Amino acid sequence: MQREKNANLEKEGKVRRVLIVDDSVSMRQMVGYTLRQGGYEVIEAEHGADALDKLTGATVDLIITDLNMPVMDGITLIQNVRSQPAMKTKPILMLTTEGLAAKKEQGKAAGATGWLIKPFDPEKLLQTVAKVLP
Amino acid sequence: MKIDLTQFRQTFLQESADHIASMETGLLELRSAPADIELLDNIFRAAHSIKGGAGSFGMTNLVRFTHSLENLLDRLRSLEMQATEEVIDILLRCVDVLRRLLAADAGAAMPAEALELDERINALMPNETSPAEAAPEEAPELVEDAQKMMLYKVEFRPDRQLFASGTNPIVLLRNLAALGTVSCCHLHCEELPTLTDLDPSQCYLSWTVELASVREEAELREVFEFVEHLAEIRISCSDAPPQPDSLLAQNSTVAPDIADSSAPNCMPSSAERRKAPDADRRQVADRRQSDVTDRRQSSVKPSTNGDSGSIRVATDKVDRLIDLVGELVIAHVMTAQMVEDFEPSCLPRLREAVAAMERNTRELHERVMGIRMLPLGALFSRYTRTVYDIAKATGKQIRLEMHGEETEIDKSMLELLGDPLTHLIRNAADHGIENSEVRKATGKPEEGVITLRAFHRSGRIVVEVSDDGAGIDTDRVRRKAIERGLIGSDAQMSDEQLRMLIFEPGFSTREEVSDLSGRGVGMDVVKRNVQQMNGTVALASEKGRGSTVSIELPLTLAILEGLLVRVCDRTLVLPLLAVIETVPLRDEQIVRVAEKGEVVVIRNESVPLLRLSRFLGLPPQNAEAGAVNADANIRRLAVIVQSGQKKIGLVVDELLGQQQVVVKSLERNLRRIDGLMGATILGDGCVAPIVDVTAIGVLNLFSLQASTKVLPQIAASVRAAGAASI
Repeated sequence: MQREKNANLEKEGKVRRVLIVDDSVSMRQMVGYTLRQGGYEVIEAEHGADALDKLTGATVDLIITDLNMPVMDGITLIQNVRSQPAMKTKPILMLTTEGLAAKKEQGKAAGATGWLIKPFDPEKLLQTVAKVLP
Repeated sequence: MKIDLTQFRQTFLQESADHIASMETGLLELRSAPADIELLDNIFRAAHSIKGGAGSFGMTNLVRFTHSLENLLDRLRSLEMQATEEVIDILLRCVDVLRRLLAADAGAAMPAEALELDERINALMPNETSPAEAAPEEAPELVEDAQKMMLYKVEFRPDRQLFASGTNPIVLLRNLAALGTVSCCHLHCEELPTLTDLDPSQCYLSWTVELASVREEAELREVFEFVEHLAEIRISCSDAPPQPDSLLAQNSTVAPDIADSSAPNCMPSSAERRKAPDADRRQVADRRQSDVTDRRQSSVKPSTNGDSGSIRVATDKVDRLIDLVGELVIAHVMTAQMVEDFEPSCLPRLREAVAAMERNTRELHERVMGIRMLPLGALFSRYTRTVYDIAKATGKQIRLEMHGEETEIDKSMLELLGDPLTHLIRNAADHGIENSEVRKATGKPEEGVITLRAFHRSGRIVVEVSDDGAGIDTDRVRRKAIERGLIGSDAQMSDEQLRMLIFEPGFSTREEVSDLSGRGVGMDVVKRNVQQMNGTVALASEKGRGSTVSIELPLTLAILEGLLVRVCDRTLVLPLLAVIETVPLRDEQIVRVAEKGEVVVIRNESVPLLRLSRFLGLPPQNAEAGAVNADANIRRLAVIVQSGQKKIGLVVDELLGQQQVVVKSLERNLRRIDGLMGATILGDGCVAPIVDVTAIGVLNLFSLQASTKVLPQIAASVRAAGAASI
C-alpha cells in the first residue's frame, strides 16, 4: 500500500527522502536497498557528524539512525537534530538491537520518534517507516 | 514483492572480518590500558555490529554467541567490570570463535569452544541470566480468530510534548483508520487555549476513534507503539456487529464502561487476552514477529564461504580513474579529428597528442594496477596476536613493533606473504628471543623486541622481520648441517653461507621441537613461497644481538618493468630491476673455466656467463653463420644481472629497449620451465619469454638448456591464453 502511495508520489515528483546513518556498510546497504524497493529515495551517512553535514545540504523526510557509532553516536545526533528549529518535529527512527533497553530509553528521551529492531525484516521495516511518515 | 537481503551477505562477511580484526587489535591494546573507554567502546561496537547484521543472514550461532559477548563488553565499557588479564584472554579466545562462526555454514552446530566460552563469560557476570534462560517462555499458541468483526473504541490522549518526538498524530490516526472502517472520530479540543496563549510546539488535542475492524486489539495497539510513553491510549471493544442504530447511540454516549458492559458478548479467548498485562501482549506480538523472522532466515541458503575475490577500493582512487578515462576519451577524439583532416603540417601536433595519450594510458595502467594494492598493515596487525600467544605460552616477554604498515602491496601477494611471515615471526619469538633470565644475564632488557618493517627499496618492496634475540649460532648450524649431510665435514663456508643453510629443506637447529613454530619445516617453506612471488630472502644475524630476515618482493606479480633484448632472431624480456649494467663482450674476454662454464672478468671480478641462445635451445651457429657477419667478435653484449647474492652475465645480441610488460604465467598455461618466470605478448603480437633471473642463479648454469621445442610451445600457449582472456 505504502509502495503504491510512494509510486504515486513519485509521479508527482514528490519522492520521500530518507537519511540512513550507520557506520556499518552492510547495514546501510540493506536498509537502503529495502527503502529503495519501497519507493523511497535514500541518502547515507557514516556517523552522527556526517549526518549533520548531509542534513545541511539536503532536506529529508525521515532519519534512520544507528545508536552506536564512532565520532558522533546516535543519541547525540538526535539531540542535535532536535535542537534545530527546522527539524524539531522531523521523524527519527533509531536502529537498535534487542536487549539494549537502556539505549532505547535514552533515544526516546532525546526525541526519537520510534525504533527499528536489528536484525530487521524488510517488510516490517517498510511498515514501521509508514508508521511515522505522513 | 519479496525483498531479498542475501545479496549483502558478502559485504557483511567482509565487514565482520574487519570488525573481528579490530576487536583483536583493540583487546591487545587493552592490556596496557584496561580502562580506556574509547578502546572499550570500539570493541563493543564491533561486536554489536556483527550481532546486528548476523541475524539478517540466519547466522543464529553468531547472534547467540555475540549476545553474551556484547553483555560482557557492555559491562567493561561502563566500567562495572575490570578488563583483567583473565577477561582479555577469554575475549581473545572469543575473537577466534567469532572467526570460526563467521566462516561456518548456516546449519552448523555451535562449536564446543563457543559453548565453553559462553559459560565462562556468564560465570564472569554473576547477575546475568544466560540467553537461554532469559528467553521468554514458549508463547501460547495463538488461536486464529475467525475473521470476526469487532467494534473498537480507541482513545488517544497525547501529552503536550508529543510533537517533540517527531510524531505526527495525523499519521497515527490514518494508520489506525487503515486497519478498519472508522465509524466516528471525535476531536477533543477542550484544552485548546486562546490564540494568544497557544504554543504551536505543544499538542493540545486528543481523539476518540470508533473503528470496526477484524484485526486483533494488539494490532491496533501497535499503531501507537512509539507513543506509549507520550500518550494515554485506551482501547476497548465489543464484538457486536456494528449496526447503524447502535452506532448512533454510542456516538452520543462517550462512556468509558462500554468494554465492561459488552464483555459478556466477547469471545472467551479475546477476553482472556485482554486481561493479560500489556507487556505480555506485546511479547506475544514480538514473538510472532520473530517467528516470521526465523522462518525467513531458515530459508536462507547456506552460501559458499570465503572470499569471492572481491576488493574494496578507496573512492578517490576510483575518482582518479574516471578522470583519466575522461582525459583519454578527449585525447582520442582530438587525435581522431586530426587523422581525419590530416595534412603534413599536423604531424607535430599529432605526435604531441599521441604522446599525451601514451602518458594517459600509462598512468591509467599504473592506477588500475594500483587498485590491487593494499597496505601491509592489514597483514601486520594479525601478528600482534601471534606474538602475544607465543609470549604467553613460553613465558617470555616480547613486544612486536611495526613500521611502514602503510606500504602498499599487490593483493595477491599480500595473501601469499601471510604464511611466510607467520613462520618468521614464530621463529623469531620462539627461537630468537631468549627468556627473561637469559636476557637479564646478558645485559639485555628483559622484554624482547620483534620488529616488522616494510619499505620500498629501488622499486621493490622489502619486508623485514628482525629480533633482538640470540642470533644464529653458525657453529651449531655447521654441526647440524654436517650431521644432516647437507655439507661435507670439511666444507669451507663463510658465516653468511652457513646461515643461509637454515633455508634448506629439513634443517632445524633446535633439538626440542616446539609446538608453536612447528618442526623446523618453516624456513624452507618461507624461501619457496617468496621465490614463487619472484622475491628473494636474505638473512643477517649477529650472535647475541639478533637476526633480521629480509624479504624482497616486486611491487606486483602482474606487471614488470622489462628490458627487451634480442637473442638470435628472438626477443626476450629481462626484469629491469635485476639488471646492474650492460657491457660489450668480445670473445677474447670470455674465459672458459673447466667444469664451471664461461666467465667474464669485469673490474677484477669474474662473472659467470650464460648464453641465452643456448639456454633457449637456439642453435648458436645461427648468429655466427648468418649472412650479417661471420666475425663473432662483433656486437655481443653481456647484461649483468643480480641473482640473489650473485652476479651473472647474460649473453645477448642486442638491447631493444625497455617497457612495462604484463606477465603471463607459463605454469598456468603450459608448464613450469626452469629459468623462465613467464612470457608476455609484445606490442607487435610476438610472444616473448621472460627470464627468471633469480632461478638462473640457483640453477646450474652449465646444464641449463631448454628443448628446442619450448619456444614455439610457449608462443602457442600464451597466445591461446591471451585470446581466451580477451
